[in-house]
Amino acid sequence: MDKQSIRVENLVKSFGKGDARVDVIDGASFSVNKGELIALIAPSGAGKTTLLMMIGCVQEPTSGKIWLGDEKVYDDKWLNKDTRAIRREKIGFIFQAHYLIPFLNVIDNVTLLPQANGQKKEEAEKFAMELLEYLDISDKAHFMSSQLSGGQNQRVAIARALANKPKIILADEPTAALDNERSVSVVEMLKKIALEQDVAIIMVTHDEDMLPLCDRILKIEDKKIVSSKVMKGASMI
Amino acid sequence: MINLAKKDVEHSLGKFLVTAMGVGMLLGIVLIMMGVYRGMVVDAEILIGDINADLWVVQENTLGPFAESSRIHEDLKNSISVVDGVKHSEAITFQNIQLPKGTMPIRVMAVGYDPFGSINPINQERLIEGSPLTKDHYQIVVSKETGFELHDEIVLARDTYEVVGITEKTVSSGGDLLVYISLKDAQKNQFLYSNNRVRSDRARGINNNDTTMVNAIIATLKDGYNVDEVANYIKEWKHKSVYTKKEQEDILTKNLIERAAKQIGLFTAILILVSTIIIALIIYTMTLEKMKEISIMKLIGIPNSIIIKMIIQETLLLGVLAFISGNIFSHLIYEKFPKRVVLEIPDAWMLFIVVLIASILSSFIGVKKVISADPAAAIGG
Repeated sequence: MDKQSIRVENLVKSFGKGDARVDVIDGASFSVNKGELIALIAPSGAGKTTLLMMIGCVQEPTSGKIWLGDEKVYDDKWLNKDTRAIRREKIGFIFQAHYLIPFLNVIDNVTLLPQANGQKKEEAEKFAMELLEYLDISDKAHFMSSQLSGGQNQRVAIARALANKPKIILADEPTAALDNERSVSVVEMLKKIALEQDVAIIMVTHDEDMLPLCDRILKIEDKKIVSSKVMKGASMI
Repeated sequence: MINLAKKDVEHSLGKFLVTAMGVGMLLGIVLIMMGVYRGMVVDAEILIGDINADLWVVQENTLGPFAESSRIHEDLKNSISVVDGVKHSEAITFQNIQLPKGTMPIRVMAVGYDPFGSINPINQERLIEGSPLTKDHYQIVVSKETGFELHDEIVLARDTYEVVGITEKTVSSGGDLLVYISLKDAQKNQFLYSNNRVRSDRARGINNNDTTMVNAIIATLKDGYNVDEVANYIKEWKHKSVYTKKEQEDILTKNLIERAAKQIGLFTAILILVSTIIIALIIYTMTLEKMKEISIMKLIGIPNSIIIKMIIQETLLLGVLAFISGNIFSHLIYEKFPKRVVLEIPDAWMLFIVVLIASILSSFIGVKKVISADPAAAIGG
């Protein structure tokens, strides 16, 4: 597990029981290394988000095993009942829309999670400012999200996802609401973060233009991870 | 740690304040209702307090003029005055009349007393202009709220009265404004029939035109005499009902006001219940509006305790602001009510405690919603 940040073995997720049982994921196994940006693709309804939510300890799988870093978190049951604490400490989330808390300004949105983790306000704000500078949006630190553009908001959302220094980022179609130029900018930023901060990123996307920017592609087909294609030149970014 | 409630309230300050003011108005009405009851009690005791008699002698087997019709002969005051222990005794009448004023007559209660007697029912502290009655006829002391001024002339029945004194805040137990006229005028107004009526009565063989009746005899006692003992003596020998001042007050507050108090109490309880439901609905709606944010917070790992703290703080703040605005609202409008409204601090504190409890109970609805919020609901637009 030294290099691996995420490992999934024989993961199964089904809804309903008996005749009404629907298998969404049926025996998915894969791993993601530190510093890798992975694209997760599949047709709509194939279970991309469900898979992401299981890895993110939001939805409980039906069976299988999940490791996050060195910690085995699921083995046919949650091994740590406080899944929210796992999310808080290990995972950063980026969503289709920015989903910033509308009544908090940029800096408060970014520092909310570290402060909930017990970090002092000054310390959290110092690191948040570093992140906002890194994402080239520090001049908007005291703006409300309603005063920012879609791309700026998404950058703030990325800063929020990084604020608790996670080793895993799960991004659910982070470029869906952006135009092509901004989408490329966001994915390049994710790639940069993965490389520079040694973070494993799984990004659900429908946008084929973003695939060349990723290190690998995981494809869900027939409820399984059927391909893992290494992208040429991905490491050049 | 960021205070989420403070940030949320600041973000939608106008909406929050308007909501608090809306609930506050409701709470203000609750305070007014309590004040109406307090006002009734105060009003009920004004006349008895001003007259300040130790004993009330009334028609046998009646509760006296404040509760039911009571007629006794005026000369009974002479018999009472010689009872051992009695210092002074006077006759007094009470009668609801209409004072002509423009197109809308004013309903008042006329207190008839002997201007030269030893007991004056007009409280000097309430007499703000002029003097008490100085003659046996055609003078009237009116309450300021009637709108009459000193030396105005008022026509009552066949006579014209001059306003010689103005009082303030003098009302009967029923809330009617008080006016004071001489006993003789009062007896004439109350007991003297018109010529037509006298002729009609004579035709029926009735020849009773006694105008020397009064509604009660009031008496004060000499120092050192037990009020109950003197009252019992009069009851036994004069065949009248006799009440002490305390008993008269009890008759008013318990017998007459009690039902009204229960009515107001029930209405107040319903208003408090409605306020609680409204606060709960507002908190529920406010929480529902934030469900997306709550789901996101749960998804990214914010503990329930921080989110619940936000809901509870907002609810309590809403309750406190509503209480403050309710107090301001009630103090702004209470003098506009036609009857006395007495706002008392203990009532306000009691309401504050009720509002706090209601707010805490209401916040449970929001808290329940937070606990049941699905973090996965944040995903997928």
